[in-house]
Amino acid sequence: MYNEDRNFDTDKLLKEAFTSEPEFKLSENFTDALVKQVERRFAWKQYLREFAIYLAVILGIMLVAAVLAFVWYDVTVSGWMAFFTKNASLVVGINLLLVFVLFADRVLLRYFMYKASTE
Amino acid sequence: MNDAQLVQQVLNGNNHAFRFLVSKYQRLVTHVVGRIIQQEDELEDICQEVFIKVFKTLKRFRGDSKLSTWISTIAYNTAITHYRKLKRRGELSYSEEPNLILAEKDPGLNQKSIEKEEAKKYLMQLIESLPVNYRTVITLFHLEEFSYKEIEEITGMPEGTIKSYLSRARKLLKGKIEKVARLEQTNIFVDYV
Repeated sequence: MYNEDRNFDTDKLLKEAFTSEPEFKLSENFTDALVKQVERRFAWKQYLREFAIYLAVILGIMLVAAVLAFVWYDVTVSGWMAFFTKNASLVVGINLLLVFVLFADRVLLRYFMYKASTE
Repeated sequence: MNDAQLVQQVLNGNNHAFRFLVSKYQRLVTHVVGRIIQQEDELEDICQEVFIKVFKTLKRFRGDSKLSTWISTIAYNTAITHYRKLKRRGELSYSEEPNLILAEKDPGLNQKSIEKEEAKKYLMQLIESLPVNYRTVITLFHLEEFSYKEIEEITGMPEGTIKSYLSRARKLLKGKIEKVARLEQTNIFVDYV
């Protein structure tokens, strides 16, 4: 029975409770799942970076080609503008398609293949 | 491997280094998040979110503080955001204020020979029933052994407030233990004589 005269050491008791591990537990494969997720993010970022580099190189080549066309051939700005306005939908459509093909090839396909290989 | 080297390895894309970082700080993050959220089903997702944030923002870590303090700050902020979200949605099943009445009336406490382990378990329940700020500072100060300054850095609470929360939590729990021991006429705490 409880004895009024026996004073227990609450400080000791509290200290022990404060420093005891709470019962929160993570699953055993927590680290594996997390690392896998981070690896995927890292791969996605890497593929996107490569896609951006490809795109920049292609745009650079196109820009150089355009400058050369102005310098060496009889091309005028008004001539370009007339061509673009006349074939706007075609030009935009082809460009979008090319960018998408590049994106799919450099990012999407690689990412999904990587994802499939790690599952 | 020290923290600076570990961070550099992770930034270089070394998956093993990241795995090591997660293993090293998993316990700390689980304690901080768990004590705030207290929901087993949410715990894993939030801990995962914390480590993803750590990974994404690691390049911003300057080494001004310890890596453990920096990770704890992310864990605290993430957990407290979720806590507030849950509270707004009314999904928290416990009271913000300490509510020990039910625990005090636990018939299990009437048994004469309750083991020391059970007394500790009961106290752990009392700790879990404290307000969120009390639980957090107790965890950071006693369990993770952070200094007042580090806790201030992690939680943004002033040092005086932290000391006050610790003292009030201790006082509150002390009062409750003594009250329960007398009310229930139990000897569950005799191991601590």
